[in-house]
Amino acid sequence: MGWVTATNLGCGRDNDRFELKAGKLPDISRKDVFDAPYPHFGRLDRYSRLGLSAIAFALKDAGLDRWPHPRPISIIASTVHGCLDTDLHYYDTVIPEDGRLASPNLFAYTLPNSYLGEAAIHFGLTGTCYIINETTISSLWCLRLVMLNMAGGQFETAIGGGCDLGQCPPFSTIGEKPCGALFFVIEKAIKRDCSAYGELLLDKSGMLALNGTKVSTLQTLAQNCIAALSNKKPMI
Amino acid sequence: MESRRTGTINVWVTDAVTVTPFGDNLNALWLAVLAGKSAIRPLRRFAVKSYHASIASYIEDLTAPDDRSMSHALVERLVRRLDPMPPNTILITATTKSGIDNLEKLRRGIPADPADVLYSGFCEDVRRQLKLTGECFNISASCASSTMALAQGAELIASGYTDAVLVCCMDLVTEFVFAGFSALQALAAGPCRPFDRDRDGMSLGEGAAALLLMNSEHARLEGRPHLGTILGWAAANDAAHITAPARDGRGLRQAVLQALDIAGRNADEIAAVCAHGTGTVYNDLMELYAFNRIFDNRRLPIFSIKGSIGHTLGAAGGIEVAIGFRTLSEQTALPTVGFSSPERGAEKKVSMEPQAFSGDCLLTTNSGFGGINAALILGKGSLQ
Repeated sequence: MGWVTATNLGCGRDNDRFELKAGKLPDISRKDVFDAPYPHFGRLDRYSRLGLSAIAFALKDAGLDRWPHPRPISIIASTVHGCLDTDLHYYDTVIPEDGRLASPNLFAYTLPNSYLGEAAIHFGLTGTCYIINETTISSLWCLRLVMLNMAGGQFETAIGGGCDLGQCPPFSTIGEKPCGALFFVIEKAIKRDCSAYGELLLDKSGMLALNGTKVSTLQTLAQNCIAALSNKKPMI
Repeated sequence: MESRRTGTINVWVTDAVTVTPFGDNLNALWLAVLAGKSAIRPLRRFAVKSYHASIASYIEDLTAPDDRSMSHALVERLVRRLDPMPPNTILITATTKSGIDNLEKLRRGIPADPADVLYSGFCEDVRRQLKLTGECFNISASCASSTMALAQGAELIASGYTDAVLVCCMDLVTEFVFAGFSALQALAAGPCRPFDRDRDGMSLGEGAAALLLMNSEHARLEGRPHLGTILGWAAANDAAHITAPARDGRGLRQAVLQALDIAGRNADEIAAVCAHGTGTVYNDLMELYAFNRIFDNRRLPIFSIKGSIGHTLGAAGGIEVAIGFRTLSEQTALPTVGFSSPERGAEKKVSMEPQAFSGDCLLTTNSGFGGINAALILGKGSLQ
């Protein structure tokens, strides 16, 4: 797993705590995430940089960040506000001059799933890639859908998680919202030299459990994964 | 060929409604496209003098109530035609920009409800209007949003997770979107001409669709009509470009082959294709290349309805699946309005006339920004 939050950023195995809360997210530079040059990383919108970085950390954590050939890995990601921040910047290029100055570059990122395409290109991911929008970033629907599709034979490896920039006035309700991005790599069967945080199961009622312990949100799953590595008592 | 699934639950579609510029029912849309009509006409919703095009297919009398988005009015017109929902129906909405007209208003200092701008606002709107109590979420997958929503709805039912899923999809013609496609030089000056040698871009459209997916056993018990079956579904990413398709159609081909595998069908069993067919140079070339490889250059009817109602973005897949079931029922592939001279590879497959065919399976596909491609295999219903 990998994440970028107001507290810290990086791979699951490099950190001993995870928290998802409201606050200022770090300004992510290419060097924070990628060893090799990524020519237009700095020109990506904030939402895309956030999501792409967390996906990169998750893939690195799972030993899947290097690839000789494209792989049928899927991504199902949740968000609340999506690319609203980019929408505002783009529409500010439409208003003057009756649209003559509308930015095609910004427009391309006014879809909440554009950064998944960016991740697909950079990491050679050829599976299903889509976004689900919910009222909270920590809902487990993204993981439920990963598990159901996996059981249905759609794919064997997927990245599931969420990405949100948090409050975007005036488009969200009063009060600060948790923000950040958190992704998990989920595999049907690990065929590489890589250890797992544990076994994730979905029951018929839609409940998810890691190593037999129920998980209620994405953040409790992250905390339980860390606890599983250090043999601490899992959070419920 | 055996389905990859074991112990398969059949996914029936028991209700399908559409709202398009041709009216608030599927029959009106079917008859209009069958007659070769187009709703693409001069756009009067906002100033277009700065853009590469000045036309679109839009619903003339669609107006925003008070400070709400036009999406609210569209949803109202859509859901009033639906039969009562089964208890605990899961709702999946699909859109690319839902209530983005309210963001435009707010940015221009016009009072508007900001809640409509969030995707969850669309979800909540449908849920409230239909008094649904089950879970809900929205799917965003560019121009394949509703195709993906139908695929995921089918997955939820086939897995036994639930017995009923309502998929509602919509998108509006707004300046936000129009200006963007104009800036990308993707809009045709005249009405779009899918698969035509002289095509020069797409025409935007607006519309909505709602389809009720049910476990076949429960649908039978409730005496629901069988409009058709979703037999197979899959998606794949090109991993090539953010706004352009892979020229070799590799993602589309992968999605179609996987959907066939899930359906337990061979490519030979597909009788017709309802293509994405946007009318852009690269999309149509990519699709023809992929289809000709998948079907080994077999002569089968391929059609696009975007010459009639434009590209309805997140609603395209939903509207096209509703049309797809009617196509199977009538055993008639619709004419591709705007098409006259075939692009290489479209000869004797795409036509400006209706094409009769015989068969039980239809392929429908959509592709979009971010490299996404989604495919559904539809089976004929049992209604006469």
